[in-house]
Amino acid sequence: MKDEQFTMMMEMPQLSPEMLARLKEETQRNLLRMKHFSEMVLNPKEPAIGPTPRREIYRTNKSRLWRYESTRTVKTPLLFVPNLGISRPYIFDLMHKGSFIEHMTAQGFDFYLVDWGVFGPEDNDLTVEDAVTKILPRLARKALESSGASEMSVLGYCMGAPLSASFVATHPEFPLKNYIDMAGPIDFAHVGLFGLWLDPRFFDVDKYVDTLGSIPADMVKMGFKLLKPTMDLSTSLNLWWNLWNPEYVAGFNALNKWANEYLPFPGEFFRQWVKEFYQQNKLIKGELVMGGRAVRLERISCPVLAVGAKEDNIAPPGCVRPLMDVVRSRDKEYLELPGGHISLIAGRGASVHCWPKVASWLKARS
Amino acid sequence: MENNVSQQLVDMWKKQVEEGSQVWLKMMGQGQTMDPQAFWRPFMDQGMAAWAKAMTQGAPSPDLMAQWKQFVDQWIAAWSKVLEQAMGTEAFAQTMGKQLEGFLNVASPVKKAAEQHIEATLAGLGVPSRSQVIALAKHVVQLEEKVDNIADRMESVAQLKSALYGLEGRLDAILKRLTESTATHRQERA
Repeated sequence: MKDEQFTMMMEMPQLSPEMLARLKEETQRNLLRMKHFSEMVLNPKEPAIGPTPRREIYRTNKSRLWRYESTRTVKTPLLFVPNLGISRPYIFDLMHKGSFIEHMTAQGFDFYLVDWGVFGPEDNDLTVEDAVTKILPRLARKALESSGASEMSVLGYCMGAPLSASFVATHPEFPLKNYIDMAGPIDFAHVGLFGLWLDPRFFDVDKYVDTLGSIPADMVKMGFKLLKPTMDLSTSLNLWWNLWNPEYVAGFNALNKWANEYLPFPGEFFRQWVKEFYQQNKLIKGELVMGGRAVRLERISCPVLAVGAKEDNIAPPGCVRPLMDVVRSRDKEYLELPGGHISLIAGRGASVHCWPKVASWLKARS
Repeated sequence: MENNVSQQLVDMWKKQVEEGSQVWLKMMGQGQTMDPQAFWRPFMDQGMAAWAKAMTQGAPSPDLMAQWKQFVDQWIAAWSKVLEQAMGTEAFAQTMGKQLEGFLNVASPVKKAAEQHIEATLAGLGVPSRSQVIALAKHVVQLEEKVDNIADRMESVAQLKSALYGLEGRLDAILKRLTESTATHRQERA
């Protein structure tokens, strides 16, 4: 009886040729996984980022204005305003064939990027108001001068959307041709988990800023990691699964470099951002005042495009879409695309779902 | 046969994910003390049953790896959903706020004392302290802002100047025409 059981256990199962081929493939993949893993650990290479050639147009304090090389076949230039703090803007020009900027410049857009820079403790007095009424107008004017154009389109991404919307709504003299909000919160009543965590009942922003001065990068990192605690696990699992694929590994290295470079917030900026945007929701209510001017989004009357990402947990579609209800524009469109906050604008999915749509919408109006 | 086994595994896994999530949510909702075993039991029991079934039926296949990956992805997605729900409660926000406040209550005096101590030590050594360096950097930032403002004004002046030159040119042209027409008029009168 025991011998029978042993024979049954030891009996080799019959494998079909297809299964043998799959087994062979899996073995090869495992060898490649080991090779790439050892390379990553023993000989890590600095990923090549920012493939699109660019030139610094202007610099003020830590902030810079970059102009990217393009054929400039589209008449109206585009000013891209990303978030201040949190992360670096090279995610928009991460790598060849994986760059929003590369795509837009290939389409003939004269592309300008606002790089807010990395603020230090000496900038702790910088407020949202300073960014909107001092830095942004200057950079926008320099972009306009450099382009030689009479009008300019503005694209705000993430926090860059409420910042740029506040700028264009308080500067009617700025010749705005089109306005695009990509994953930028406008109605902070629907801003998801951050909205709840930063609620004044639970979060004392004054105490936070008064104690720490500025918001350290590690704190920012902690907040974002907490938003999706399983992210690191699924990222590691997906890396292991795709570790055999050199293209995936190259993409991972570049994205991983970006994803681990968190930036601090100037203290006063954070205080105003949390209080007036998250806690009091002043932007959509029309109660925000910047540089002595009321920020009224209904002053925006040019063509407007708002893009929300279905799985965005930083700026859920519910807080992006309300822009449509407040602007005075007749030509306005809201798009809800697949992906999360980052994958809306970076990565393979973005190159299929998002970039062509944004480029064609803008091209038709530029 | 293989497809059947895969489907059964997927179904079982879904079931265990759902049951595990229910246990978790129930615990969160009722404010009970966390019992990790209660959460893990359905996952472990059904996971073991699923793998036992997979290993005893049919030939071993490299697709098992793909199935495993699929299961783990689902498991992570379920966890993510559960955690998101748990973190989306006021109770969680309150706890986090309290923890943060506790941290700040401790950090604030410690930071202040450390800063004072370091300041005093550095002053004794004749070395500039962090706050002095920051103050200096602030001055540089303010100076840069002033220089930018001056540059802006100079640009405005330059623009005004070029506009004035344009105006001057136009005035010259008007004067020239006026002179010419006056001369013509005089000639005609003469």
